[in-house]
Amino acid sequence: MRRRFGLLLLASLLVARGAAAAEEIPLHGFVQAASAYRLIQPDRCPRTQRLACREEFVLGEGRGRLELTPRGEWWGLVAKGELIGDAVGGEVDGDLREGYLDLRFPAVDLRLGRQIITWGVGDLIFINDVFPKDWVAFISGLPLEYLKKGSDGLSATGHWGGTSLQVVLVPRFEADTLPEAGGRLRFNDPMAAIESRNTDDPSPGAEGPEVGGRLFRNLLGWDLSLYAYRGFHRAPAGEVEPGPRLRLFFPPLNVYGWSAQGAALGGVVSLEGGYYDSRRDRSGRNAAVENSRGKYLAGYQRELAPDLTLGLQYAGDVMEDHDAYRATRGPGMANRPTIRHVLTARLTQLFWNQTLRLGLFVLGSPNEGDFYVNPEVKYNVTDALWAALGLNLFGGPRRAEFGQFEGNSNLYAVVRYAF
Amino acid sequence: MMVLGLRRAGWVAVVAGLAVLAVAPAAAQPTAEEIMAKAHLAMFYPGEDMRARVTMRLVSRDGKERVRELTMSRRDLQDGGEQRYFIYFHRPPDVRDMTFLVWKYPGRDDDRWLYVPALKLVRRIAASDKRSSFAGSDFSYEDVSGREPEEDTHKLLRGEKVGERAASVVESVPKDPGSVDFTRKVSWIDKATWLPLKEEYYDRRGELARVFTAEELKEIQGFWTVTKRVMKNTQTGHFTEAVFADVRYNQKLSPDLFSERALRAPPAELSR
Repeated sequence: MRRRFGLLLLASLLVARGAAAAEEIPLHGFVQAASAYRLIQPDRCPRTQRLACREEFVLGEGRGRLELTPRGEWWGLVAKGELIGDAVGGEVDGDLREGYLDLRFPAVDLRLGRQIITWGVGDLIFINDVFPKDWVAFISGLPLEYLKKGSDGLSATGHWGGTSLQVVLVPRFEADTLPEAGGRLRFNDPMAAIESRNTDDPSPGAEGPEVGGRLFRNLLGWDLSLYAYRGFHRAPAGEVEPGPRLRLFFPPLNVYGWSAQGAALGGVVSLEGGYYDSRRDRSGRNAAVENSRGKYLAGYQRELAPDLTLGLQYAGDVMEDHDAYRATRGPGMANRPTIRHVLTARLTQLFWNQTLRLGLFVLGSPNEGDFYVNPEVKYNVTDALWAALGLNLFGGPRRAEFGQFEGNSNLYAVVRYAF
Repeated sequence: MMVLGLRRAGWVAVVAGLAVLAVAPAAAQPTAEEIMAKAHLAMFYPGEDMRARVTMRLVSRDGKERVRELTMSRRDLQDGGEQRYFIYFHRPPDVRDMTFLVWKYPGRDDDRWLYVPALKLVRRIAASDKRSSFAGSDFSYEDVSGREPEEDTHKLLRGEKVGERAASVVESVPKDPGSVDFTRKVSWIDKATWLPLKEEYYDRRGELARVFTAEELKEIQGFWTVTKRVMKNTQTGHFTEAVFADVRYNQKLSPDLFSERALRAPPAELSR
């Protein structure tokens, strides 16, 4: 449905192109080629991941994007459609990245349609950003913007005397895109023996729509936010049914949190916390559903020298009812510690009037031992053309969050021409 | 009581008289500090607010050219003091629709926010180093929003003509040499408009590193404005030419423009 709608939109965007030229409606876009070569091929290969074990390329695709963004004093329309030619899978597909209508009132902004929403202050550490993500795109080496997926819904933001309140309503649940059985990516699959799988309709009608709220204001130079969300886990839980068959479903979740970001200690300090109330497993005894968790992060970013920036983060993820969780663990299942500690560092150096960027991002868990390392060189050849070359290296214990992706470690290249 | 009051008034009059005598010659011939203070106001604080369409051409030694086009809005909270800047990028394509907000405070680090439309993300930018390049150009943040005159000691060197214009030549030396990339700056300040016509920046080895030139001056709504300026890196041969078009002062820009709301949804008139 999502795809067909995307194709339809792309077609109408192409038609609109002619009209746009005539009436000077802004029309932009790009063409992009991206490829990622798998660097590590682990020997063990579960039957559900045969494709991933065979395929040398994690990514090999070309994309065309059209963006139509007419705007008036009190309204705006944004339509961003893509046509994707996947050389590895031999498919052509359309996608509507964003498509929404903005209405602007004196104290209220309304946004209706498919929109990307980003909350929180973490750098690749998500606590209050409960909105859908495409981890397959991220692992595969596509540009970071593809990690974020749109939500189909309504966002209303009111502004009163420096304080703002955003309310988000999403009637149709959109899950995270994760590596799955039969896909191109390797991952830890405790149920690898079961090939028969079924995913519940990710729009659990009985549970009602997703609702989120963010209250924010700037106080003495600090950006302060409070968040609340009522919806679902974006990653599915799995339950074995007679057959045997694996049933995947999205358990309900509430999230409450806060964040603060401001200038301090000669740089930018970021703080964030959140509580994940896993409504279907408050006792922690359900083996399939995630326990409730508390998450927090502290970050610091500083310009060490002109065009050289360092960002550091420490984050923790504390599981509730850890004893009950341990009792549910069977053989072959991940056994996580009470607290998962994560440290990250990002170093960015710009050269040649900021046209050449060397970046290094390192994320590692000192107690679980898994890691992710991403060095990248990006060069703006001209104002319209850029090229990036980088590595996505995953490693650590096979059942840990990033360790399971070791077999997807890749060397990637992206070239984009924008207009 | 009365007598005492008169006596005190008498003393005040005498002191004030002496002060006037002391200052009078200086008023005719302004000190280096006064010149730089006036230049700072003329260059970075004209009007209550300002909006301009800025086109920057970044040209390398071998003639390779890149273009940055943006709309800059500025609002002063206090003359010579706190300021707010809102910048909307028109091109190149990879920064189109990006918005950038700066709250500038004299005496301490700016607050800076960058909005990345592809991620719908407002990102706080570390602002400790005001000498960093602005948008990849040869202009630093300080070249765009001003360097406080109090951060340097100034010395009036001489009077000199720049083209047809009479200028005061002032040498400025940073009080905290570790905080900046130059050890000495020489400015040619126009005697008629107080605008800098030329600036030379010398690096730690005492060699000429960058040269600023005001290529075009226009009077707009009674405010003299540098509508075309060039900053050249004399060591790399790279230079940036910035042209200010559609300059408007005192438009009663709303304080709401300098907020997170505007970062995420800039007013339509900016994107044209």
